[in-house]
Amino acid sequence: MEYKAPVEAYAGVVREVTIGTGRKSLKIGGENILPLHFFDEGSNPNPARFALEIIDMQPPDWPKHAVEPFQDVISDPVKWARRCQDFAVDAVSLYLMSTDPAVKDAPADKAAALTREIAEGIDVPLIVYGSGDEVKDAEVLPRVAEVCEGMNLLIGPVLKENYEAVGKAIMDHGHTAIAQSPLDINLLKELNVKLGKFFPPERIVIDPLSSALGYGMEYSFSLIERVKQIGIITKDSMTMMPIIANLGGECWKAKQAKENKEQGLLWEGMTALSLLLAGANLLVLRHPESLSLTKETLEVK
Amino acid sequence: MKKEPEENMQWLVDVTQDAVDVPLCIDTMNPVAMEAGLKACRKRPLLNSASGKSDSKEQMLPLAKKYDCDVVISVMTDKGMPPDVDSKIESIMDTVAYANDMGIPNQDIWVDPILLPVSTAGEGQRFAVVCLEFMNILDDVLPEIKSTVGLSNVSNGVPAELRPHLNRTYLVMLERNGLYSAIADPLDKELMGLIGGEMPGVVELIHKVMDGEDIDVSGLAQKESEYVKTARVLMGETLYSDAWLES
Repeated sequence: MEYKAPVEAYAGVVREVTIGTGRKSLKIGGENILPLHFFDEGSNPNPARFALEIIDMQPPDWPKHAVEPFQDVISDPVKWARRCQDFAVDAVSLYLMSTDPAVKDAPADKAAALTREIAEGIDVPLIVYGSGDEVKDAEVLPRVAEVCEGMNLLIGPVLKENYEAVGKAIMDHGHTAIAQSPLDINLLKELNVKLGKFFPPERIVIDPLSSALGYGMEYSFSLIERVKQIGIITKDSMTMMPIIANLGGECWKAKQAKENKEQGLLWEGMTALSLLLAGANLLVLRHPESLSLTKETLEVK
Repeated sequence: MKKEPEENMQWLVDVTQDAVDVPLCIDTMNPVAMEAGLKACRKRPLLNSASGKSDSKEQMLPLAKKYDCDVVISVMTDKGMPPDVDSKIESIMDTVAYANDMGIPNQDIWVDPILLPVSTAGEGQRFAVVCLEFMNILDDVLPEIKSTVGLSNVSNGVPAELRPHLNRTYLVMLERNGLYSAIADPLDKELMGLIGGEMPGVVELIHKVMDGEDIDVSGLAQKESEYVKTARVLMGETLYSDAWLES
């Protein structure tokens, strides 16, 4: 008897989200198949995209081998952002670490001006992450949104605690939002429902929090997988958004990554590859070599 | 209670039966307190609860026999909480057979499937569906058996003002599948009205959701649409979030 492979067709479609504008724009999401299920009916019009992360200050605790590719530009975020483009990135992700009250508590105006300068200096879209301090971010991110009016940056994290203020500024100034919740699908959906009451859902990207290999990655994996299943299979409108996996920072915190370069590259590469298999649409890494390692692995047919 | 379990339980039973003229259900894990309570009851009490755990089989079930009372038996075993319908049925059949051998008949046994919070990420909604299925087949495998649930467990962890929605809807669903009784809040007028047949339209809508009918909530009154949305969450059809009534 001849074997016939089953072919599935699903009802849900992940919203296609555009970040950036004009020639500096990028589309993510849009798939109606589960990750890499190219044998099923449907398609993924936008393959996974990659960004490298930069920080708005001299990184305090990076090991030598992580600093190395950017040694000469690491004290100048504008140049650092441009350097990222040498590594064929689809986007650059700026982490406004200095604004954290526990770090330098740098003012919102300064962060906003720097963000604009970086966004103007590169030819790819810019992702901007605030410090994660819900109170300070409610001050910094709206200012960033305002100063970068109309550039359609991808801005976050929009949290349960500050989604009204931060979400409104992101919307009013023509940007796209990263809705972040702490590794819990029910909370993730709740935030999207609440945000979605005034914010267009086709401008929301989900950040479920990405943990590193050995530090809870399997939780992130299961969650991303489940968000995709609930969206694509059961057509839950509030989970049909693309997913950003901001994993670089988490990976380079691992002592295994700090110990030596090869281990670090593999740590970040394996985490990226795993979360990509789970269904992440946009991945933020730190090291150019783990980025190329991940891309090479993907391209091997 | 820990220091003088017998005296305290006896006092509690006495003041309660002085105030109300109905049988009592005594809920304690302490067998000494349980015995004191059963002894003090004027009407035939309900022992809550025994389970398939060995200490419960050895200490609680004999009390039910000794005082000739009804007994709640939960699906719990020494291995913990059985995770799916088959293992729940298997465990309750084992424990009920054990009780039958001691001389406790099915009609004196109230089975508790143990409800878990629906809001628990990942598993909560599956548990809600499992308990519905369990109730549906219980009578087939154990004829004449009674049943009960601690209803408000299903809404544990949910914002307080939203909990009644889950409690009410789930009770209608469980009742349809054969639930005999529930430990619930009798001061919740809407809950009592629903069960008392005062809201037949809502009950019918909930049943339709259970049958997989596609209901257009936009054509419904707000209250009806809330019941439909809640039933869909409890059937595992829509992913739970605290904002389930809002989407």
